[in-house]
Amino acid sequence: MSWARERQTLDAGQIHYGPHQSLRLRERPSNSAVQRPPQFNWNADQPEEGAKGRPRNLKELPLPMELKKAIRQVQQMKVPVMSNWQSWKISKSKTMKRFLEESREVLAYVAPWRRTLHKIGGHFGGGVQSYFLFLRFLVVLNFLSFLLIAGFVLAPSIVFQSSPGNSETQNSIDQIECMIYSPEPQSLSVFYQYFLDLLTGMGFMEYSYLFYGFYNNTEMMNLQLSYNIPMAYLLTTAFYFIFCLICIVLRMGAVIRDVVKTGGRAVGGYSTLVFTAWDYGLQGNRATNLKQNNIRYQLQMDLEEERIRKVAASLTMAQTVRLYSLRAFLNLVVFGLIGAAFYAIFKATQFSQSQTGGDFLDLIVQYLPSIVITAANFLVPFLCDKIALLERHSPSTTVILALLRAVFLRLVSLGVLLFTLWNGITCNGVTESAACSVCQYNHKQYPCWETRVGQEMYKLTVFDFITVIAVMILVEFPRRMLVDHCPCKLAQFVGRQEFVVPQNVLGLVYGQTVVWTGALFCPLLPAINTIKFIIIFYCRKITLFQNCRPADRTFRSNSSNFFFLLVLLLGWSLATVALIYAAVMIHPSMGCGPFRFLSMMWSVVPDSLQLLSNSSRDFLYFMGSQAFCIPLFVLLCVVLCYIAALASIYGKTVSLLQSQLKMEGRDKQFLVKRIKELNSASRGKKR
Amino acid sequence: MGNKQTIFTDEQLDAYQDCTFFTRKEILRLHGRYHELAPHLVPMDYTNDPDVKVPLALIVNMPELKENPFRNRIVESFSEDGEGNLSFNEFVDMFSVLSETAPRELKAIYAFKIYDFNTDNFICMEDLEKTLNRLTKEELTPEEVKLVCEKSIEEADLDGDSKLSFADFENMISRAPDFLSTFHIRI
Repeated sequence: MSWARERQTLDAGQIHYGPHQSLRLRERPSNSAVQRPPQFNWNADQPEEGAKGRPRNLKELPLPMELKKAIRQVQQMKVPVMSNWQSWKISKSKTMKRFLEESREVLAYVAPWRRTLHKIGGHFGGGVQSYFLFLRFLVVLNFLSFLLIAGFVLAPSIVFQSSPGNSETQNSIDQIECMIYSPEPQSLSVFYQYFLDLLTGMGFMEYSYLFYGFYNNTEMMNLQLSYNIPMAYLLTTAFYFIFCLICIVLRMGAVIRDVVKTGGRAVGGYSTLVFTAWDYGLQGNRATNLKQNNIRYQLQMDLEEERIRKVAASLTMAQTVRLYSLRAFLNLVVFGLIGAAFYAIFKATQFSQSQTGGDFLDLIVQYLPSIVITAANFLVPFLCDKIALLERHSPSTTVILALLRAVFLRLVSLGVLLFTLWNGITCNGVTESAACSVCQYNHKQYPCWETRVGQEMYKLTVFDFITVIAVMILVEFPRRMLVDHCPCKLAQFVGRQEFVVPQNVLGLVYGQTVVWTGALFCPLLPAINTIKFIIIFYCRKITLFQNCRPADRTFRSNSSNFFFLLVLLLGWSLATVALIYAAVMIHPSMGCGPFRFLSMMWSVVPDSLQLLSNSSRDFLYFMGSQAFCIPLFVLLCVVLCYIAALASIYGKTVSLLQSQLKMEGRDKQFLVKRIKELNSASRGKKR
Repeated sequence: MGNKQTIFTDEQLDAYQDCTFFTRKEILRLHGRYHELAPHLVPMDYTNDPDVKVPLALIVNMPELKENPFRNRIVESFSEDGEGNLSFNEFVDMFSVLSETAPRELKAIYAFKIYDFNTDNFICMEDLEKTLNRLTKEELTPEEVKLVCEKSIEEADLDGDSKLSFADFENMISRAPDFLSTFHIRI
């Protein structure tokens, strides 16, 4: 009887999940052990959809398989009369779909470390897996960049090295001292000199394809082939940056769709935790035990946070003022610490730049900036964590604050290093001062300043790599052995290493930013970084499985993925600013490199444009002129306003629908009450 | 590629491919796994659509399900008879809904079924308490359990009947960013 009533309420072609029984029957719970299956209206006409629409709809039906197969058969029998063209189109789209599925499978097979990531996700959950996915993304990005640079800069340089090309020479006498640059190592050197040179990038490494100084400004102008190496060098670097930007933005786009769909942070904390916290992909006894502990810990943390919030809301005025002044003071202390770290980096860089040499003690001096940066990046967040305990924020705010401080410290310390180098190279920007007046840069201390900057970035990369390996061997493995075999209380208190995802990801972002900053000056740096990241992947995997236990706090993979890509983008912008400044504002070295006789690196582009034919030159000039740029800018602003308006309309629609849902609930409640009243009234009347 | 196998006819594989989120290779692999569960029960040749059901006790021993606190409920939600005995169709259905490409709406429907322990189409306090106890291995104190359940219902219940209907549940799931990635079994 109720089944028939339901059929009347069904719309054509609609699926009605769960018999929302009539309100009168609601009071009697259903006795059947089986939940009533959803109904499907067989007589509805399916709307005319292409081959693409039909199978997709079928997959999304919440019906048992036999029912779906039956529906499919009915749909196939109902095939309308189609022309030859339509049937051909449908069969072609089916083959295309098959082909896409096969190619997706092949691509997934080719993607490296697929099984490892699967295993990591199964044992440690989505948060840790997101770190390794990020690392894999960076490895692929660096490898593709290396191919780009090798194809356009390295290979032609090697080829043209052997054949005679045209290199310009300047016939100006008063700048002859700027062109003095002799990086060739002495013939007699100690046996360990090669090892030291490998670590510092000096000696035999300095005048090699690794650094800027080795490349010549050859321009091949044969009849069949013309290749301009300086232009290739500059434009390849520019394209490398744009390529990285496109990859990051594409990846962000995939992540941001999920974030926007769920409206940013989840509003319902407890209910979402209870229903969505369990990771169904977890396997293994240890992983599930840890996950259960994790969830319990999080619930207890949330209850604790609630309690703190209640306490904070009930503070008196005097207590609130005291708390805020304490927080302001502690923030000053944190800024002071960070400022002290920056000053230390500044002094260390200045000191190490003024020394040269090949001795072992000099190696430490050479690495002084890297050592100071790494030490600062370890000590300052550690102290900030201790200070944060006094600030008495809620646990989630503490985590976010610590992350922001760490990001600020890492990126700006790199900026301080670059600033110090710039000070030394351009004599604090004053090109009229004694040391810089002749060549527009400090040619005595920096005969080839680009190679020097490249060497600093190279040293940073190598030291970062050495630190990771050293920490793994000297800290993590002994810690685990201590915890496992020593019964003393201290070891049990300290416990096994925790795999903290945010700090590790920040380390990756820092390494990638260093590579981007150094790409112009050390073209093989992406290749070195690829190898470094591959080795780090395997090291981290080993340490994860052997030494670590998962972090206590769950790591929200979706919103944090977006945050990490954002920080990567910040690092990219820092590197872009440094690149543009170096290409445009600083005079290239006159003794080395492909830009040696130009006043700035960028001028190779306008010079080459002069050689083009009249029409293409005029076209390019038009593209760069105001007549084209201003209308383009205005058009982009209009498009931006349109998209912003669209986004706000969607947001308003979502909140409108949500309030409508609430209203319907209240209506239902009211109706239930009325029916109860009517029932009791009619029963009363009968008696 | 697909010519050598004799487990399914091409027609059957096409039907499976259209009704689930799996490719042909994955369906054949799933059949291999299904056969492994009960080799003496499950025939290798499915061209005649045999009516074979693997009992619940064997299915929950799969490595993907063994440690899942909701394994019994998952298998019961996908079985026709409600006892947890799955035929191959239901087995494929289960993993299709739990796969990566299944949409949020479909997953929400089955998640609701899984968490509704007394199968009355509402998630009430008792259902929530059972869910929470399984999630935390019963290590929360009873007061904490009660507090969390009350707060959960308070947050998600829109129509004010102190239990969650499917509309409430779906609305709450739509605001959860991690649901798609956690309600996912890789096989």
